[in-house]
Amino acid sequence: MKKELNIVLAGQANVGKSVIFNDLTGLHQHIGNWPGKTVEKAEGTLYYKGYTINVLDLPGIYSLTTYSTEELISREFIAIQKPDFVINVVDGTNLERDLILTLQILELKRPTVLALNFVNLFEKKRIEINYKKLEEIFGIPIVPVSAIHGKGITETLDKGIKLIKNKTAFKQLEYGKEVEKRIKELTEFLKDVDLPYPKRWLSIKLLEKDKEIEKLIEKENPKILKKAKKLCSELEGIHGHDSSIVISSERCNLVSEIVKKVMKIKKSTKASFSERLDNLTCHKILGYIVMILILALMFFTIFSFGNWFSSILEKITLNWQGGWENIFGNSILSSLIWAAIKSVISLVEIALPYIIPFYLFLFLLEDWGYLARIAFLMDNLMHKMGIHGKACIPLMLGFGCNVPACLSCRIMETQREKFITGFLTTFIPCSAVTVIIIGLVGKFVGISWAFGLYLLVLLMIFGLGKLTSKILPGEATELIMEMPDYRKPNIKTIILQTWARVKEFIYIAGPLVIISGVIIEGISLAGWLPLIANLLSPITVKWLGLPAICGILLIFGILRKELILVMLATLLGTTNFSQVLTPIQMITLALVSMFYIPCIATIAALKKEFGWKRALSITLFKIFFAIVFGGIVLRILTLTKIL
Amino acid sequence: MSKIISLGELKKEQEAEIISIDAGWRATKRLADLGLVPETKIKILRNAPILGPIEIQVRGSRVVIGRGLASKILIKLI
Repeated sequence: MKKELNIVLAGQANVGKSVIFNDLTGLHQHIGNWPGKTVEKAEGTLYYKGYTINVLDLPGIYSLTTYSTEELISREFIAIQKPDFVINVVDGTNLERDLILTLQILELKRPTVLALNFVNLFEKKRIEINYKKLEEIFGIPIVPVSAIHGKGITETLDKGIKLIKNKTAFKQLEYGKEVEKRIKELTEFLKDVDLPYPKRWLSIKLLEKDKEIEKLIEKENPKILKKAKKLCSELEGIHGHDSSIVISSERCNLVSEIVKKVMKIKKSTKASFSERLDNLTCHKILGYIVMILILALMFFTIFSFGNWFSSILEKITLNWQGGWENIFGNSILSSLIWAAIKSVISLVEIALPYIIPFYLFLFLLEDWGYLARIAFLMDNLMHKMGIHGKACIPLMLGFGCNVPACLSCRIMETQREKFITGFLTTFIPCSAVTVIIIGLVGKFVGISWAFGLYLLVLLMIFGLGKLTSKILPGEATELIMEMPDYRKPNIKTIILQTWARVKEFIYIAGPLVIISGVIIEGISLAGWLPLIANLLSPITVKWLGLPAICGILLIFGILRKELILVMLATLLGTTNFSQVLTPIQMITLALVSMFYIPCIATIAALKKEFGWKRALSITLFKIFFAIVFGGIVLRILTLTKIL
Repeated sequence: MSKIISLGELKKEQEAEIISIDAGWRATKRLADLGLVPETKIKILRNAPILGPIEIQVRGSRVVIGRGLASKILIKLI
């Protein structure tokens, strides 16, 4: 027997799959993308009882019928790459829902172990499951697991290894008579088809009218597709529903029957803690108050910590440039290298104080189950923008940093929603923009004006959302989301998830930030900055009413927005901006800084998710939008003489 | 035989059985994956305010469905 095993973890969202994955692989994991897809691919390796085991965490899936890229990837991987065995993670407290996927995984005919997670909650939920009976029915090993306590995880591996050693035969679960008859008939027809999928599975997919499989079969032999269509309409005649619904119903009923046989729940009369908490957190008025409080607390904590920590980092790195120049002189080469090093330092200065705490908080909320509540509360509002409640998550992430926000648009179901959400997140004031708003407007014009700007931005995002959803073709998809129970957050999962995101941020943002840092330093060394400022002056001075040096600021701002403030102080030689800018100029500059371009790292993230064309059109739109909007606001402020 | 109404018209705590789902292929499929197929019994747990989504209990788990989609799910009270 070979000593290297390839295994996969498969399961629905929120079943604790990532906890098991982290427990198995620890830090020996690599998160990348599936080739050519924007779906995340998490792999890891572990050494166990003399085996090298490569673990692949398949994306959270609902079923293996093509609904989304995630599902397509998962089933192709299981059917074509043929992993040595599959660990199907199910939520033991949600058995009736999760076994629907189990049935479909078993149809792919790979050795499978069922990891029944959350057995630690059984007592509290008064659930009893007869494992032996469940094993008999499915003909696969079942392991009770309590992932957050690390219990049962190695047993799943043991059972899996035993499974492939013994080459246990598959057991065939059968559907209702009418459906089963047609599956067999079609399987017979498929006998000579040469595809890497099991024949019975192909028949079932054809009866479900799975578009991908229909295409495959049409290529192989159009006659089979015709036969399948005939059988489909027979089923539709008998049941009065579309044949895809008939098959789904069969599956649900079969699972229902099985669950009835193996599980007992004693109904408790008392509302569970989670339910009582939901009466508050999903309440029509209190729910929103709680949400605002939680989010306010989160932002307040992050920004106060970030401010404090970044000032410490600044102090530490304060004399580094002088030290560098003392050693290497200030030749052109040395300056360019320093520009690269400075870019790296600045990445650290934004990642450590802001992005990491932000992620820790967000994953804490996610692991606890609260993000789903936010999606529930915000769905209606989001729907008005042509997206749905889940879009809240990328938008919230945007307040920390637009880069992860753009990347997290993957959670949206269709391309259209991904794009709208991605577009809108680039307008969210990230932590760097917040530094400008607070440091310029908040400090010198008044904190109420700073809040006013925030409000204005949120209103604008709403307006832009409405507009884009009108302009873009296609219909809005509706929210379909599971409401997870509240559970105790798992610190290890939160930390590992945060780490994975930060790594991703560095990989995507790092190269571009460094390269453009060097280029801008080059331009500055060549003495072209005043030239550019002059070139831009019709816009900056005439239209926006700003001092000409702002043209230079805006160039630096492409790198990182907060450089606008840093450079302002450097170029004007003072941090008391009220001496050099009027309040109106400050507001205009803050507004323009907010919108005028996604920073270079965000452009990189946009390119990764949507391709160059769309990334550039968003960028151009923002430049145009900021100039027009800034000019209009300037004129309104001047005319009304509020300031 | 009780009247057939849409899921959107159901009130909190009411129980019902799904008659049919008249949504697009994708949404129908997704609902089926969560166990929402004809003849399934469901219970309304919560209505979000101002025509927000609906939270229902189905096959032991809780699912949130947008209001527009809910109006395409036909049910009868039980």
